[in-house]
Amino acid sequence: MGETILKLDKVTKVYPNGTVANRDINMEFEKGEIHSIVGENGAGKSTLMKMIFGIESPSSGTITYKGEEVHFASSLDAIKAGIGMVHQHFMLIPSFSVVDNIILGDEPKNGIFLDRREAVRKTQEVSDRYNFELDVTEKVSALSVAKKQKVEILKTLYRDAELIILDEPTSVLTPQETEKLFEQLRSFKKQGHTILFISHKLEEVKQISDRISVIRNGVSKGTYRNDELTMEQLTNLIIGRDLESDIDRYKTHEDFHNEKAAVIEDLCLERNGKPVLDHVSLAVKKGEILGIAGVEGNGQLDLVRCITGLEKTKYEGKIMICDTDTSGMNIKGRRDLGMAYIPEDRMGDGIAGPLPISDNMISTYYTRDDINTKLFMDNRAIDRISNELIDTFAVKTESNKTSVDSLSGGNIQKVVVAREYNTRPKFMIAEQPTHGIDIGSAEFVHHKLIELRNSGVGILLVSADLNEVMDLSDRIIVMFDGQIAGYFKNARNVTDQELGMFMLGASHQTPEEIGGALND
Amino acid sequence: MTEKKQKINLSITNPKVFEVVKMVISILIALAITLVILFMISDNPVRAIVTILTGPLTKRRYIGSVIESFIPYAFSGLAAGVLFKSGAFNLGGEGIFIISGVSIAAVACNQLTTSGVLHPILCFLAAIVTGGILMIIPSFLKAKFGTNEMVVSLMLNSIYSGVAMFIIRKFLLTTTTSTIGSRDYFKTAKIGYIFEPLRISPCLILLIITTIVMYLIMFKSRLGYQIRLAGTNPKFAEYSGISAFKLSIVTAVIAGILCGMGASCQLLTQTSFYLPEQSLVGIGFSGMLLSMLGRNNPIGIVVAAFLIKYLEQGTSILYFVDRAVPSEIVAIVEGIVILLISSQYFLRGFREKKLLKEGLEKDAK
Amino acid sequence: MQSSLFSLSFLVTVVRLATPILFAAIASFIAASTGIVNIAIESIMTFGALAGILGSYLTQNAWAGMLIGLVVGICTALLIALFSMRLGASPILIGIALNTFADSLAIFVLYQLAGEKGTSASLPTPTLGVLNIPVIKDIPILGQLLSGHYILTYVCWIVLILLFILIYKTPLGMRMRACGLNANAARTAGINVERLQVFSLVLSGLFAALGGMYLSLNYLRIFSKSMVAGQGWMGIAANGIASGNYGVLLLSAVIFAAFRAVSIIFSSSTVFPVDLVSAIPYFAVFCFVTIASVINYYRIKSGKVEEQ
Repeated sequence: MGETILKLDKVTKVYPNGTVANRDINMEFEKGEIHSIVGENGAGKSTLMKMIFGIESPSSGTITYKGEEVHFASSLDAIKAGIGMVHQHFMLIPSFSVVDNIILGDEPKNGIFLDRREAVRKTQEVSDRYNFELDVTEKVSALSVAKKQKVEILKTLYRDAELIILDEPTSVLTPQETEKLFEQLRSFKKQGHTILFISHKLEEVKQISDRISVIRNGVSKGTYRNDELTMEQLTNLIIGRDLESDIDRYKTHEDFHNEKAAVIEDLCLERNGKPVLDHVSLAVKKGEILGIAGVEGNGQLDLVRCITGLEKTKYEGKIMICDTDTSGMNIKGRRDLGMAYIPEDRMGDGIAGPLPISDNMISTYYTRDDINTKLFMDNRAIDRISNELIDTFAVKTESNKTSVDSLSGGNIQKVVVAREYNTRPKFMIAEQPTHGIDIGSAEFVHHKLIELRNSGVGILLVSADLNEVMDLSDRIIVMFDGQIAGYFKNARNVTDQELGMFMLGASHQTPEEIGGALND
Repeated sequence: MTEKKQKINLSITNPKVFEVVKMVISILIALAITLVILFMISDNPVRAIVTILTGPLTKRRYIGSVIESFIPYAFSGLAAGVLFKSGAFNLGGEGIFIISGVSIAAVACNQLTTSGVLHPILCFLAAIVTGGILMIIPSFLKAKFGTNEMVVSLMLNSIYSGVAMFIIRKFLLTTTTSTIGSRDYFKTAKIGYIFEPLRISPCLILLIITTIVMYLIMFKSRLGYQIRLAGTNPKFAEYSGISAFKLSIVTAVIAGILCGMGASCQLLTQTSFYLPEQSLVGIGFSGMLLSMLGRNNPIGIVVAAFLIKYLEQGTSILYFVDRAVPSEIVAIVEGIVILLISSQYFLRGFREKKLLKEGLEKDAK
Repeated sequence: MQSSLFSLSFLVTVVRLATPILFAAIASFIAASTGIVNIAIESIMTFGALAGILGSYLTQNAWAGMLIGLVVGICTALLIALFSMRLGASPILIGIALNTFADSLAIFVLYQLAGEKGTSASLPTPTLGVLNIPVIKDIPILGQLLSGHYILTYVCWIVLILLFILIYKTPLGMRMRACGLNANAARTAGINVERLQVFSLVLSGLFAALGGMYLSLNYLRIFSKSMVAGQGWMGIAANGIASGNYGVLLLSAVIFAAFRAVSIIFSSSTVFPVDLVSAIPYFAVFCFVTIASVINYYRIKSGKVEEQ
């Protein structure tokens, strides 16, 4: 047993709206260990970390750090005490240089002025000490995702963090990059840092951790030594039952005669003078799910924006939806052809938060005959339809007039999916459809996607979650640097390691092989 | 849900009830502050507040004046309401009032027809067309190029007022007095009263009809749905396939038409010639405050317009007996109410406590 | 005003007219740097102008009046901060409301003290003067350009330099810019974003009040209603065009002032219709703002820059 650095005693967090995020959590962290905290999405891991890092304060219970009871008023206090956190979503300012991002909040001064030279020297020194291989004068916007993460970690080291919290750090990395990160974490451990590793990917947790704490529904399910737990036991602790991931069972195999729901040919797009989409060609067949894997920022977002018609910048190439050329069409025209779209930015694009669920359930087909009379909208029909959808999609709400932003993330996503489902689509784009929602809702969404697929809808699935892509897809494309780097005709015959090589740009198929994305 | 008869929730946890309670409390706070101010500046503050609140009811002429003068303001408020509700901060109403006044004067100062019915209608049409077209400019620039519509519309306001002066001086200048204003209208252009003692003119009927139409548009029609969506989350509206461009043009045209109607009501009932620096100044800007007071709800806006004009009438009656209190005090009342009711969190804690309590009671069951 | 477009006196006029617009521009800029939209600059200028004059009248000391004007400017800014940041009102609506009843409120207060609704002319008020810089004032041309301006013009120049240093050369400025660029990132770096936003609003109120007092205490030497006449909005327009570039910000403000100078010169001639000439500066701002947005639109469309 090492010395205890951080101790949580009966920590409870209740949010003002009554949600209990954590209840009576007791945990101890030892100096110099890699300690994983696992639990499904929405189990309360993030809230717990926010309390340790001073972003939230506990409703009751105590946090003891280095033997002293602490009450952090803000993250500044936590940082001063020697705690650093790497957030799941990068907290970086793209237009600042690496140095500026790292020193922000703790700047070297020369009188009242910023001492840039000292800043560069000090940052570079820390970077070199930990073998980060970073040019600290570079602009953050020019860095790759993995490098951005390094900057985040460097930020904590620059401030001499002894305890480093990493929130889902591997969710944006390829398997190879994850391996490198782990090596680095082990070296931190050797230098005496304590690592809190938060993840829902169990293989990784098993691979890296010394000890593992499990949270389920906001309650601690105990802390275990890594070697005293099997994978099955861990799974059981996390979700309270065995995981069934065999999506294939739900798939039927009907022949839609190789009809195409959408065809994209030679799509090119430039931004800031650089190509972000480089001759992308692919086809989505009716009754299939075509998955797109890739590290964030390799053109997936731009591809979706072009297909949906939301992209403001002019693109080159042809996009056909249900055999109709969409050039010059806005999103309305494309939706009229049978396109539906589950957006990544649920809160920003997918809902109008303050409006009632009923208004949010019809926005993409509000002109349809069944909810309109000649002159006005048929409010009674809207009520009926929204209530039906609430029932079929098991949205947890008091009524269809509740404002949609008061629902939980999973239920909001169900509203979005229900609405897109009810547009009766022929072609659907599902962008990160289960990102950040609880396992129950995620499973529900997956089943609805399969149901749509089985009924002949062509689905383009874009996801950063490799497991999701591999489980749901019939065919898989890997995007790298605006290009299709790899294409796999049968999603069953590919491993995550293989996909990783393509995601990193370490492998690239021949044009003939890639052509299959369009021609198969 | 409609089939099941629910007991109407009159507690503060019902958002609509909460809204009303918040409004009432805001008004009370504003009146209380006004009272404090009156105590500071007036020798007889009690008489002052009583006169302001009840004065307009003491004479038929007073209430008639309120009825007549609130109409153009109500139109202006309706125009701003449509724009704000759709999320457009096009502040061009002021300029539209002033420039469409020129169209009205041009038609009214020419004997285009001898019909006392047709002539005002032609004036209206001229104003509506001018307003409907010119209001598009800032909204078009915003929708197409992302131009800052607030800056552009305010600059246009100043430009229009220069242009209005120029046209009046050059083509319509009166010869009888030295003021810079239009000639007298032809008699046929004036709108008469239906019920003279209360100064009820056809304009009031027009306003009532317009308000009902606007209410139906906002809450029952597909256009209203689009406006709500775009005003709440423009990205979501775009994602849903609603053309932000088309919508902003349509709402601008509606707002321009409403401003044109308001200008016509003002010029054809209350004046017999057009003074660009006086007749219509301030109505467009007041409309923005009214739409905030009425929470962008057409009926709320019209009621707010009436109440504000009522208070102004009250202060102008007071001014005869108490020179210390200028009519601008109404603006202070207005300002305080607007600040309070636009504050989402004002009184929110109170409501949340109540909600939490109800939630706990439900849990207990 | 006897001057043509190409004379030295034209440049001097531009310098004079540029002061309030520059103040308004930096007021808008500093608020925007931490991510706050302050569109109430026009009204703060009005309040500052009035408070400066009334303060000077009451204390019979122009500098004391200026202090009072600054306090009023800061208080207005704090009011905006209170309602938009604490009470959750839209800063834009708050701004529109303040701008709209600023004139009424000013008239109300003026009426209580001066018994008049239009101007403060009836109040004997000490005002601020001009500053002749020794040595420099004797240099031909340069002397006229740099010396003999109103005191607050020099204050403006100093503030412009100090602000540049604050924003681009100090840790505080870097933190402020970080708040505007990514508030969450700043927050997790341990920066108190709200405090810096309030600070920037206070500075914004301070600058706007100075702009207003330049008009009332220094340039025109009285307060008259609607004397601000859109100059606050010109500053906001300049900030919009600059989109974060300090040089473009100042340049735009000066160009707008040049158009005001043109308008003043033209209005003294009988050749041009006076009503249209008075609209020239507004038309210029309209054109500049529109053109800037059109250029930006095509840059986005052609993929040269990213949409914000």
